[in-house]
Amino acid sequence: MFLENYGFLIVAIVQQALLGMSLWYPLMAGQLSLASIGFYSLGGYIAAIMGTSPAFAAWREALGPALYPVEWLIALAASALLGLAVGIPALRLRGIYLALATIAFVQVLNVVVLVLDVTGGAVGLFGIPQPFESRLGYLWFFGPLLAVMLIFSARLTRTVAGRSFMAIREDELAAQAMGIPTTFEKVRAFVIGCGLAGVVGAMSAPFLNTWNARQSSFDASVACLAYVLIGGARSVWGPLLGAALLVALPEVLRPLKDARLIMNGIVLVVACIYLPQGIAGLLASLRRREAA
Amino acid sequence: MNIVFLLQSFINGLSIGSVYAIFALGYTLVFSILGIINFAHGAVFTIGAYCTYALAVGDFGLNGLLAGMSLPFRLPFPLALLGGSLLAGGIGVLVERLAFRPLRAKGADPLLALVSSLGVALILVNCLQFLVGAEIYAFPSGIFGSLPMAMVFKMDGKVLAVRTVQIIILVVSLAMLLALAWFMNRTRMGKALQATAENPETASLLGINVDRYILSTFFISGALGGLSGTLIGASFGLAGPYFGVSYGLKGLAVIVLGGLGSIPGAVLGGLVIGLGEAFLPPDYSSMKEAVAFVMLFVILLARPQGLLGRQTIQKV
Repeated sequence: MFLENYGFLIVAIVQQALLGMSLWYPLMAGQLSLASIGFYSLGGYIAAIMGTSPAFAAWREALGPALYPVEWLIALAASALLGLAVGIPALRLRGIYLALATIAFVQVLNVVVLVLDVTGGAVGLFGIPQPFESRLGYLWFFGPLLAVMLIFSARLTRTVAGRSFMAIREDELAAQAMGIPTTFEKVRAFVIGCGLAGVVGAMSAPFLNTWNARQSSFDASVACLAYVLIGGARSVWGPLLGAALLVALPEVLRPLKDARLIMNGIVLVVACIYLPQGIAGLLASLRRREAA
Repeated sequence: MNIVFLLQSFINGLSIGSVYAIFALGYTLVFSILGIINFAHGAVFTIGAYCTYALAVGDFGLNGLLAGMSLPFRLPFPLALLGGSLLAGGIGVLVERLAFRPLRAKGADPLLALVSSLGVALILVNCLQFLVGAEIYAFPSGIFGSLPMAMVFKMDGKVLAVRTVQIIILVVSLAMLLALAWFMNRTRMGKALQATAENPETASLLGINVDRYILSTFFISGALGGLSGTLIGASFGLAGPYFGVSYGLKGLAVIVLGGLGSIPGAVLGGLVIGLGEAFLPPDYSSMKEAVAFVMLFVILLARPQGLLGRQTIQKV
């Protein structure tokens, strides 16, 4: 009963947590990106086109359910390549440029998908085949991906690449002086996130059954960033905690109707001021206090 | 290509570009003093437009908390424009108090200030939606008194139309730019602002009350935002509480194009993007919204410090 009513919510939390996580990697290298939603949209369009377009009928025939992993791989490759194209010019520079370049990327992408025929213009694409009967079934898509990414993130903090990311976050000049190729590492952190967002998009198109330009609004970009920062950008659990709170909050606040979007803003501001390390940081400091 | 098309595009581009310029100056002023981009600027732009609308027209629509209400007075457009801009300046001050000051007091990561300003933008826009609903408002046609809607010229058998609102936009924007240039370079307060932007610590040692000047910067920035919101609203209507978001993002492209923190750069960037949009061939008009952002990418590749920006040297 619980699972039936809240299946959609649970899957949405995991899906949004993964999108938040795609911003977690660049943040690990101290770079603020708002691109996730763009690559999510791109991945979704790839899956939607491959799932509905007559041009891919033969593929669907031949591959059957194996079509889905193929979509994920194509979305991964496309997002990573495009991520390189966006990331390299912006990440040669220090400071806020990645945030600005990624905003620009999402805006250009939105104009392009509205103009193209293959993306269905303003109407979007409908009737994307769904592999699962119930909403909860999509946990088979998102759940393992989340598990893999959590393990990957936890391992990453102990590798040379992860350590380099963190060194750049703490002090980019010092990291460079230590011989870390800062531009390369920043691009690497960014592209990991882009690829992940693309795969999440490709998984989400069947989940939502329809795909259009509204998937990549500026508000959605901000929401992804909010998951990480409110959950805690310095903990692997941050994006999951943040997404759980912020996706569930509107459900809990349903009686407030229109005013609940105001609440989202208030949560964002209050968290920035009082929880600079996010929920994960708060939990860690509570645990330290208990131990002491 | 003919001379009439060129002239028409030039007038359209100059008019819209000058609004982009004064809007982007609001970002630039805050950036030059705090080194942070105020993401609530687009929301202030929207609120300014709605404030002017309320003062000049006075009737609210069918949705939201204020549905069916009307103000007991109507101001003529110039006074309403002034009032709306001042109110937007007040909102700018509110943004500083809510999103920036608490974080500055704690010496927090500048990234957090960016996010908290996004949060304040979310609060402002949704409060506005709560009050006036999501419907479209438009200034009535008689808003400029007895002025005609447009002037029509005939050249070589082709028609060149200049809307009155375009001329008003151009005149108000240019006046605002001149006033700002005078204020920044010729007044004590402007000089103090420049000193604070150059180095807040030194400025405070010289007896400049830095917090007060940051507050005045936000007031001026908010007023510029509100003014440009009104001008755009008078030209294209108020398409719901979210109509400032896309202009807010376009303003970011303007300041990067001109050079982050450069005042002449913001003006040049605004004009370049306005003219770029206007000169887009009619066949590609559906791509108009992408022009500013494509230019942003090109400048990042070719000249990252922007057209008029100073190349910064990193010191340890």
